[in-house]
Parts: sequence; C-alpha cells; structure tokens
Amino acid sequence: MAEPVIGIDLGTTNSVVATVQAGTPVVIPNRSGYRLTPSVVAIAKNGKRLVGALARRQAVTNAERTVVSVKRLMGRKWSSRSTQEALARLPYTVVPHDKQRDDLLIQLGDSTCSPPEISAMVLAELRFDAEAFLGQTVTKAVITVPAYFNDSQRNATKDAGRIAGLDVIRIINEPTSASLAYGFGKQVGEKQICVFDLGGGTFDFTVLHMYKGVFEVEATGGDSLLGGDDFDNRIVDWLAQPFLEKHGIDLRKDKMSLQRLRDAAEKAKCELSSTQQMEINLPFIATAQGAGPLHLQVTLARPQLEAATLDLIDRCLGVCEQVMAEAKVKPTQLGDVLLVGGQTRMPLIQARVRQMFGREPSKAVNPDEAVALGAAIQGAMLLHQEQEMLLLDVTPHSLGIAIAGGFFQSIIPKNTTVPTSAHHVFTTVKDDQTSAKITVLQGESEIAAQNELLGEFMMTGLRKAKRGEVDIDVIFDISADGIVSVSALDVQTGLRQSITVTASSGLTEEEIKTATKANEEWMLGQKEDPEFHKHKARAEEVFRQFDELWPRLKQAAADGLGHEPVQRAEAALSVARLQIQQKETVGLASSIDRLERMLGALRGAVERGLVSPRGGST
Amino acid sequence: MATLPTQASGGTDLPPDLQLELRTFEAVGRDISLYDLLGVTPDAEGGTIRRAYLDRSRRYHPDAWFRKNVGEFGPLLSRAFQKLSAAYQVLSDEDARTAYDQVLKKRLSHREREAMERRALSREEQERRQRESRERLLRTKGFARIGAAHKLYEEALELALNGERAQAIAALKAARELDPRRGEIAQKLTELEREAARSRSQLALKAGREQEEKGDLPAALKTYSQSFQMDPTNAAAAAAAARCAAAVGDHQQASTFAARAVEIAPDDVDTRFLLASAFATLGLKVKARAELTRVLQAKTDHKEARALLKRV
Repeated sequence: MAEPVIGIDLGTTNSVVATVQAGTPVVIPNRSGYRLTPSVVAIAKNGKRLVGALARRQAVTNAERTVVSVKRLMGRKWSSRSTQEALARLPYTVVPHDKQRDDLLIQLGDSTCSPPEISAMVLAELRFDAEAFLGQTVTKAVITVPAYFNDSQRNATKDAGRIAGLDVIRIINEPTSASLAYGFGKQVGEKQICVFDLGGGTFDFTVLHMYKGVFEVEATGGDSLLGGDDFDNRIVDWLAQPFLEKHGIDLRKDKMSLQRLRDAAEKAKCELSSTQQMEINLPFIATAQGAGPLHLQVTLARPQLEAATLDLIDRCLGVCEQVMAEAKVKPTQLGDVLLVGGQTRMPLIQARVRQMFGREPSKAVNPDEAVALGAAIQGAMLLHQEQEMLLLDVTPHSLGIAIAGGFFQSIIPKNTTVPTSAHHVFTTVKDDQTSAKITVLQGESEIAAQNELLGEFMMTGLRKAKRGEVDIDVIFDISADGIVSVSALDVQTGLRQSITVTASSGLTEEEIKTATKANEEWMLGQKEDPEFHKHKARAEEVFRQFDELWPRLKQAAADGLGHEPVQRAEAALSVARLQIQQKETVGLASSIDRLERMLGALRGAVERGLVSPRGGST
Repeated sequence: MATLPTQASGGTDLPPDLQLELRTFEAVGRDISLYDLLGVTPDAEGGTIRRAYLDRSRRYHPDAWFRKNVGEFGPLLSRAFQKLSAAYQVLSDEDARTAYDQVLKKRLSHREREAMERRALSREEQERRQRESRERLLRTKGFARIGAAHKLYEEALELALNGERAQAIAALKAARELDPRRGEIAQKLTELEREAARSRSQLALKAGREQEEKGDLPAALKTYSQSFQMDPTNAAAAAAAARCAAAVGDHQQASTFAARAVEIAPDDVDTRFLLASAFATLGLKVKARAELTRVLQAKTDHKEARALLKRV
C-alpha cells in the first residue's frame, strides 16, 4: 500500500484533516467522532495538555491558560501593528521574546511557547486522529495557509509541521486548495472561477482558470487580519459597550468574562444565520461593588448584526474588485463562485456576493471541509501522481529590496506564477568594500519601511577592488510553497558569495530541533502506555454492562429505588469517559473500581426489587 | 541525427524523449521567439496561447516529477517551466505583447510578419469601431444626450476594469462633452488621468534608474525630472533627481528637487542630508543648519551630518 499522505486545513478557529482513500478524498473524523477540531490548546489545572474540543470546553474557567486563534500570531513580529491590535482581543498573555529578537511568546502556565509550537500541538492531535483512522503511521502532509500569508507566516507554519513530526511536502493556499476539491473528478473543459474564502481570521479572494486538470491561479489578494473573529468581536463590543455605560464595568477587561462574551457572540452569530433573532443570556457576568451580581440579558436581531458588520463585508468586496481588476476579468464573466469558510454562511454575505457576481454561489463544496480535502488531493497528486492534475499558483506579494532613500524596488511582482526566480546586480559603492547588506522585503508600498521585512542578508568577503568594479548578482527564488530563498554570485569571477541570514521571524534551527524532540517524547508518552490501554478495555466492558442494565435500572428508579443512585452512576460514567479522552491512567483506574462497585450494588438492588413484595405487586 | 551522450539518461526517472526535449529547451536562447517557445503562431488568440502554456506546463512543471529522481535534469525542468511562464506572462498581457511584437518584427520572416500585422489590424479595427460609435453618440441631440453619456460612462468603467485605460479616458471625455454636469464622469476621468500619469511616471522612474546604473547621469537626471513632473507626488523620482543633480554638480537643481522630495516624504533622511549639503555648497548656511538639525533628530548617529554641521 502506498504511503499515506494527509491534507490539513490549519484554521484560525477550527482545523480539519483529510486524506485520499481509494481515489476518493475523505475527511478524517477525530477520535471523538467530529469532523472539525477546534484549534484550541490549553494546559489544564493538573498540568495536562488539552487540544481541540476538550480545550475549548474548559476555556471559560481557564481563560488565561487556553490559547485560541494562534494563527493570528504566526510569523508575526512583536512590534508590528497587527500583533498589537490582535493582542488587545486575546484572553491569554503574550510576551516579547527578548531584547535581541522581535518575536513573541505565549504564556501558557509556567512556561512560554512560540506560536509554531502551539500550532504543532494542534497538528500532532490531527496526526493522531489520522493514524487512528488509517491504522498506520502518518508522516507526509500538505498544510494550507491563507493565500495572503507572507514568507514569515508560511515558514512559521512549515516549522509547526516539523515540530509535530510531519514531513510537510507542500504548503498550499487555502482558496486554491478549495478549488481542487471543487474541480476534482469533474470533466470540465475550460472554466474560470473565483473563490471567496472568509475564514476565522483571514480573508482571501482568488481568480482561477481550470483547463484539463491544470489549475492556474490568475490573481489573488486578501486581508490577513479580517475574518470571522472580527464579526464575533463586533458582537462582543455590541454587548459590552452598553454594559460599560450602564454599570461602569468593561467586561472585555476581565479574561474570564471576555471568554464568555466571545463564546456567546460566536454562538449568536451562527444561530442568526438561520434565525431572525437570538437571546443572549449571561448570568453572573460581573459583580458590581456593593450591589451584588450582575447579569447580561439582551436580544440580538439579524439586522443589528448586519449593521454592526457592514463595513467588514464592504472590505471583503473591495478586495474582490481589486483582484478582479488585476486578473482583468469582470464579475459576470466568471463561471462559478465558491464560498469557503464558515463565515460565508452569513445570509448577508451570500446576498452581497450574489449581487456582485450576478449569480447564485456554488453549492458544490462544503465551506468547512473543501480546503482540507483539496490539500489531501494535492498531497496525492504530488506523491502518488494518481491524478492528472497540476496546480499553478502565484505569489501574493511583490518581492523586492530596499534602495537608497528608503524606497522599495520590486524584483518579483505580485501574481507571478511560482516557482520563479529573478536576479538583480549590485555594485560596490566604496573602494575596497568587503561587505554589503541587502534588505529583502515583501509588500506593495513604495516606501520600504511600510513593507514586511523578510530578512537582512549580509554579503561578506567581497573581493577588494575599486568602487563599481565588483558586481554581485543576487538571485531571488520563490519555491512552489511561496517560500523565498536568496543566493549571490560574483559576476566577474563567478564565485559564490556567502550570505548570512539574520533570523527575521519565529524560531532558530536549534529551537525547532528542541521542540521537535519534546513533541516526539510527548507523542510516545501518549502512544505507548499499555497500562492505559488495559484500563480503557476494562472501562469499555463496564460501560457495556451499564448499558445493558440501564432500562431495568430506570424502571427500578421509578419503582422506588429513587433517582439519586442513578444520577450518581451517570456522573461517574461521564467522569470516566473524560479520563479516557484525557488519557489519565491513574484516575481512570480508580474510577473503574468505583464503577464496578456501583454496578454490583445497583445490579443487586434491581434483582431485589424484582423479587421484593413492593416491586412485585402483581 | 546526433545522439546524446548515454550518461545523460543514467540515474533519472525521466523518459528519454523528455530528456532530449529539456536539453533542446535549455539550449535555445533569445534566438527563438516567445511564440515558438509556446508553440503558437504570432496571430494566435489569447485563449490559444493560454491553452498552449497550460499543456506545456503539465509536462515541464517540476511538480509533475515531484520527489522523482530527476538527477541532473532538476534545474533544467525548473528553468524550462520558468521560461514558459515568463513567455506566457508577456504574451497574455495585451500591452506587453504589443511592445514585444514591435521588437520581434525586425527579426521575423515575411509570413510571420503578415500574421502579426493581421492581428494588429484587427485590434486597430476594434478601436476604430469604438471610436466611431463614440462619435455617433456625440452627435446625439436633446435629452437623449444624458442617456448616451451614461452609456459611455458605463462603457468606460468596463474598459477601465479591463485595463484599457487609454480607451476608457477617451470614452469619458466624450461622455463629459455630452453631459458636462454629471459629477461622477468628471471624477472618474480625473481619477483615471491621475492613474495614467502615475503609471507613466513610474515607467520613467524605472528608465531613469537604468540610465543611472549605466552611469549616464545627465540623461538620468532629465528622465527623473520628467517622471517627477508627470506625477508631482512621486517622492522617489524627486529624490533620485536630486541625487543625480548633486552628482553632476548642479547644486541649485539638487536643492530644489531634494526640497520637494522631503516635503512629500519627510522621513527620507538620506535626501534631507543631500538637501543640507546642497544648501551648504550654495552658501546658505542657515538653511543647511536647519536641515542638518532635522537629520540628526531623525538619526542621532548620522556621522556625516554631524561633521557637516560643525563646518557650517
């Protein structure tokens, strides 16, 4: 059997893993049976690492040690404006790395973690799910990123994969990935489509051309700080602002109440996609000085939500117009419009899209799953060459260098098909100049400082000569992953120049290795615990016996045994189930002992009840 | 027919015919046209060019041989694909293709030249028809003029969306003549004209940089100054003009351009220093001192500024 390869949609709020089985792409459910795994990581009070639904469920009571939306911080620098804006909204603590490095770290309990390490925990969980589903070890993966991610963000994602022990064979763009899921197995001659991808944290818009299994991206654009989270935040503000005015308490300042507001906001937002209004009820949300507990109870109607988020939708549509102008295509010329990302379920967004493109958006793909399925297809395409498909993607940002006066000179323009390379000849400006610094940037502004800094390259050991006599040819490569590399050549002598890169973002090679090792150990700890498996088997046997007994037990409870022992048994059962999910070997053992005792006692009671004069009144 | 050395096929999964193709592809340089690279004729339509490009990509794209043993052919594959995509980039853009055709024409055979002229003719024909329809609309009388203006306005928006800026401007001018009181027409016209000026200015800036790199400073100065005149918000052009003027010893001009540049981009320390030096050379010590102080405010460790401040 061919080596399995998985596709992972590493989302801001939820992640999905998929694979291609017998030529068909399928979503892999996680070990709890769900197809979506929340991208949430927490350290529980007992020091255990929790990932996914478990982490999400305890977020309210453990807000400071629960990490959500870490994707917003991937590959970002501490001092950047976007980081500082994101921080104001996050319920956990983020600290700068140290004085020398402009990176950031997340405070998680007593230790700190970098964003890639947190993402790696989500990836490791998904890898476990895939291994449980496929029954074999999985190492090869394709991970998706928003098309608008820059080089540092892509590198950070790749690092996260490495830490989780995955061989990331390719990073692909989410909208492109969704289009693969759409085009898979379709016999379309030639078609031009667009993908409107509004995820939890990012917005992407891409125009593609499909021809005989070749997917050619024509133009792409987006906003890496615009997503479903922003819609939630608007509701949070809508709830918190009147409360602040009335009671003088800002609920957004308290981490626990902020988490409750966020949960309620997200729930209300989802509900309002199908209903017209929704009651939000948050009892004991705060305590007023001397006045006891305060509650929050309001009704949010769909038009109110729409009014509060109108400008966000306008921002999305503005990006669409710009990208279509770059692709030189009119909205009505497009053959289909795909909606991807949970936020596109919002009726107003669908209506505005319908209005703009003059057609009904396609229902051919599932907005939550298409991205992961496409990644799995791309993985199979690359590794097994099963499908006669090929993806031609583009670079979303212009790549260039800083030149005299603080200006930016573009070397590879945006929307160039990758892989690509370009070169630029530099000349020495001083006699006997032996080194030169090149600042590489990504962005569209003419002012260098307004673009994203990718790195500074020091060329050293230049040949000593008069100024202008040493020409250095610097070659810029962008791989099919959208990742940039730089090399240099002395034009006159043909000698390669050494280039040193000052780490511009994320982790050093050493740090990645340490984190990878730590993760491996953690995974081994999760896997090879025969003691735990023995207990789990015992527990399942006890669950089965309880299931058998249940109808008779209910009857007995009604017939005079009382409800209390039954409720106690129910509670003990749910504790044991939780311990299985959290792999708490010791706790599970004592739970099982307790359950077995209960089972014996209840069984006895049921039997007695049947023969007792009270129960057998017939 | 000469056969390739046998060691070429050793240690690779690529089929022999592709190996041969790649070697041929690698060997061809600028002597073959972009049309030949993609295997289309010079009068080919956009759709045909695109299909040819995608068909060839399927064969040459490195992903088609992902993690296969491609041996020494790895770089060849990657270069072959990049040649294809660069050719497609040019031929899929109407303006770039016309410019390329101009260059190519000189080296073409008679038949190819004819094919290219056919295409140019059909394009001219299209433009002529648009021009005529505009002229017809311009002759509209009475209230119908408002409707005609609206029609032209819509047409202009569509043209602008398709990147046909010059055509869009012509349509808008006609629309303005028909209905001079509609604000949005004039507004869109100004916007497009400004855009056009900005893009011309950027082109000039680029040309200037090439001249400067070649060392032709007087020509570069002229081009930069034109670039700045086309778009008076182009700080980069003003700064470059100042740099060239200073280099050729025209400090009067250098100070004028530098002053404009720092007016638009006040954070440009290098140009501000240049401005100060020009003032100093012209004997305007007070002005030079003022600028130098501002340089040092922005960048306290600017040694040259400090030294110059001492001197003035």
